Amino acid sequence: MKLASYRKKSPWILHYNAGGCNGCDIEILACLSPKYDIERFGMINTGNPKQSDILLVTGPVTKRNRERLVEIYAQMPEPKVVVACGACASTGGVFRGMYNCEGGIDQYIPVDVYVCGCGTRPEQIIDGVVQALAILETKTKELEESVRLNKEAIKENKQLNRRNIADEIKPVYT
Amino acid sequence: MYSLITFLFVVPVLISLLLLVVPKSLARPLVITTALLLSAISVYLFINSEGVYYFGVPAYVNDMVAVADIILLIFFGWIAIKRRSWIVGLMSLLQLGGLLYLLNTMPAHHSLQFMVDKLSLFMFLLINIISGIIAVYSLRYIDEEHCSPFRKKYFLSTIFWFIAVMNLVVSSNNLEYFFLFFELTTLASFLLIGFRKDEISVKNSLTALWMNQIGGLAILAAIFFIHHNGYGEATFSNLLANAKAETILLPLALLSIAALIKGAQMPFSKWLLGAMVAPTPVSALLHSSTMVKIAPFIILRLSPALKDTPVANVIMALTGFVFIAAAIGALSQDNFKRILAHSTIALLALMIMMAAVGTPVTITASLILVLFHGISKSMLFLNAGILEKVFHLKQSSDMDKLGESGPFTALVITIGFMSLLLPPFGAFIGKWVSIESLGTLATDKKILGALIMVAVAAGGAVLSLLYFKVMGLLIARTGNEDKIHFEKTGPFYAITTYLLLGLLLSTVVGLPLLLNNYFTPVATQISGTPVALVTEGWTMYLGAVKLPLLPMIIAFLLLPVTIVVAMFVRFKNVDRAKEYMCGEKVNYSFSSFYFSTDRATPYFAAAGVLFFVALIMVALI
Amino acid sequence: MNNLWVPIILIILAPLLGGLVYGFERIIKARMQRRIGPPLLQPFYDFLKLADKRKMIVHSAHAFLGIMHFVSLWFALAVLLLGGDLILVIFLHLLSTALLILAAYSTRSIFSHLGANRTAISILAYEPVLIIIAVSIFMLTGSFDAAAAFQSEQPLLYKMPLAFIALLLVLPIKLKKSPFDVAEAHQELTGGVELEFSGIFYEAVYTAKWIDYVFCYALVYLFAGNNILLGTGLIVCTFFYLNALDNSTARVSYKQMLRFSLTVSFSLAFINLLLNSLT
Repeated sequence: MKLASYRKKSPWILHYNAGGCNGCDIEILACLSPKYDIERFGMINTGNPKQSDILLVTGPVTKRNRERLVEIYAQMPEPKVVVACGACASTGGVFRGMYNCEGGIDQYIPVDVYVCGCGTRPEQIIDGVVQALAILETKTKELEESVRLNKEAIKENKQLNRRNIADEIKPVYT
Repeated sequence: MYSLITFLFVVPVLISLLLLVVPKSLARPLVITTALLLSAISVYLFINSEGVYYFGVPAYVNDMVAVADIILLIFFGWIAIKRRSWIVGLMSLLQLGGLLYLLNTMPAHHSLQFMVDKLSLFMFLLINIISGIIAVYSLRYIDEEHCSPFRKKYFLSTIFWFIAVMNLVVSSNNLEYFFLFFELTTLASFLLIGFRKDEISVKNSLTALWMNQIGGLAILAAIFFIHHNGYGEATFSNLLANAKAETILLPLALLSIAALIKGAQMPFSKWLLGAMVAPTPVSALLHSSTMVKIAPFIILRLSPALKDTPVANVIMALTGFVFIAAAIGALSQDNFKRILAHSTIALLALMIMMAAVGTPVTITASLILVLFHGISKSMLFLNAGILEKVFHLKQSSDMDKLGESGPFTALVITIGFMSLLLPPFGAFIGKWVSIESLGTLATDKKILGALIMVAVAAGGAVLSLLYFKVMGLLIARTGNEDKIHFEKTGPFYAITTYLLLGLLLSTVVGLPLLLNNYFTPVATQISGTPVALVTEGWTMYLGAVKLPLLPMIIAFLLLPVTIVVAMFVRFKNVDRAKEYMCGEKVNYSFSSFYFSTDRATPYFAAAGVLFFVALIMVALI
Repeated sequence: MNNLWVPIILIILAPLLGGLVYGFERIIKARMQRRIGPPLLQPFYDFLKLADKRKMIVHSAHAFLGIMHFVSLWFALAVLLLGGDLILVIFLHLLSTALLILAAYSTRSIFSHLGANRTAISILAYEPVLIIIAVSIFMLTGSFDAAAAFQSEQPLLYKMPLAFIALLLVLPIKLKKSPFDVAEAHQELTGGVELEFSGIFYEAVYTAKWIDYVFCYALVYLFAGNNILLGTGLIVCTFFYLNALDNSTARVSYKQMLRFSLTVSFSLAFINLLLNSLT
């Protein structure tokens, strides 16, 4: 009875919209409804990164959104998985190449599962999450390499100060 | 013994005269030595006294007292003319008229004018020690006020003659002398509230003056009725000796009214709330630790006569109501000193209630509350003064940065609030004994007992809410820094704070000892029946009240110790994250929540007036 | 010492019992919404998963106060089940919630503060009723001890029916269930006071919620006196009542909650107290 095997029994979800059109968001919320009912897997939609394991991101990352996305990712404790829901989150979708979009969340945070579809269906989302759970079990509690994540440990205490992780990404206000 | 007691009366007056003339460098050692001397004498007297000391004074002192009375009342009249306040003038005229009438019709003095029993010695202890510490504190505090150097000396000297007057108040037997000293405390309050001479100070000092003058008038009326009904001389001992007489209730009710006004019970609470504009040592000394304690003192003196009378029932109902009304009123305040003032009114109501019930256990509860409330509140007020002078904070909603900029003061204020609320500090034990012992009351006066128990317990819950609201502001920190640096506030402030903190903690540790050797004998002497303090296994029985020691010790570890440890604990090897604000990176500063009680305050005042009227009616019938 | 074993076992197993109750509640809530719902042992799976996360706190005072909230709530439950003084029990419960409020105030987070404000106001809503119930029990049994209530021959329910109804009206506030769950309003405050806790520190607050269930059901059991059957019946009825209420009502604002509690519940309990003191 390893503790790691209990991670897949109670995965808590955090749902973040990084500038999308809300199509995939509606489908994610539909997963919680009686027809698809992901609560039977023990999943709860917490609104709080500090208490969740799976980050479901929709939408292409806009310039306003990128620091908040990284900040929320930083506030989630390891082990965690990121699921990019929809074409926009994976590659930018129909908005790829636009002046305000960065083209997919993997520019900023490491992604574990890409779920395709433009307006992904709940069945696809559930499938993706189940695969993500299998990956979750194999993860460790160490901080992952990421493009913009600062993981210098403070020398004396071996504790990480995660408060300023997203600082180097400057906000853009138009 | 007698010489030591006289010492306590005379020395503060001399020192106050000296302080007006000596230079500042000499004033400091003078104040410190006097404070130490007075405290030492009062402790010695309390420990080594047996029985009751009566002493009389030569006949010319009676005349001096009468003359002093008249001069005082003329001074009040002059104030009324100068400040154009018709109500002060009216009160002064009434008092002057009553006094002259009484002086003409009073029989000659026979018995002894001063009585110092264990209750007086207990009050000596409270008055001299706390006043000593506050006098030392005000040496530094008054230096930082913006006024002329002479006025600073005048402040210190007023504090010292006030100490002398307080010592005299608690030892007076003769009611006419008591009236003089009562009015002298009113004078001290008036002068010190108006110290800063701005418009609001003057207004509030006049309010304090006329409200307390009503109290003085009540005392004069009590003296009149004692003579009129033929009980002989107007002294406390005479009053207690005639406790079972027919129409004794009316003087008792009038004296209780004087006590209730001095204790700022509703509807007369406005003067205490307005007195918070005074400099902080004034608030600490007069309006929380010593002067307002005259209120439970009077009721404690009269408790053998008041016990089981309709007057006592009305007092209990009034103070139960005030306890919860003041607690609710405190939730609406933002100014830190006004929050403390409301909480003082609430706890005074509890002390008066316990004294009015009159059983030995409740008298012990009242004494416990008097002493521990004095220590805790003075510590809180002194720190309010530090907040005002060092950190320039008056509103409690500005105190949210204090946890990082002034951690020591935040810690002391937190301990002060916890000492009013949590076990095993004395105030909690007092409240506990109050609730439990009201149960014995409720066996024969069911409805009154039930109502009062609910009021006390619910008021206690509301007060806890209030204290935790303010403590929450003090404990806030960003979490950016890991180490705490205690700030330096200067020797006078720090030493007085440490002294009070030490007193508080040592009384906690020594509580069973104190209860056994010091509180119960006083209660025994007042009520006439012995109070038993028995320890059986893990429970302590005070009379019939059970104090479960083991849960209280564990509660002590879980609650006050936890909160203090929480300020210092550091988890190692644990990441630090930012607060969740939906990903934003702004810094959030906050204030607290308030209840607006404006719609309820007229009802509170009206209820208070009804109770007072009921008090008189019940005594007449 | 024989009859101390039952309370002691109950105290030690309190988190387990509370967890089972919480799991059962989630299943009932799902079935009422025509869903399947999680397995019964889901709270324990949550517990074990949370134990496996990397430790992360906002600052030490916050995490420490959260843990002490859990410990002091367990202690309050212990005093209640061992038959201690009811005023002390209510006071300890108040103080353990106050520790949680202090923890929430100690961070500089908006949601924590709002949650703490609302929790403080909801304390104001339920404390007076509990105190009146304790005083009524004193009037009936002559002592403030819970042991006197647990061992009384005649169930207190017969003499305090209005107080029991007042208790039922006040329990949703304590347990943060609709319509009185402003303090934890998940959609508004994302959890309120529990927000900044994570991993094993969140477990302390999560388990404290389970212990709160056992505490509230123990309060309900007080009304049954010596009669085990009546006590169990009362607990089962209260359980279904709370869940039916939770799933069928919407949230009211804190002003409405305070007004309702202080007029309706307080008056019911107060009338009961007057009746008890007159007879």
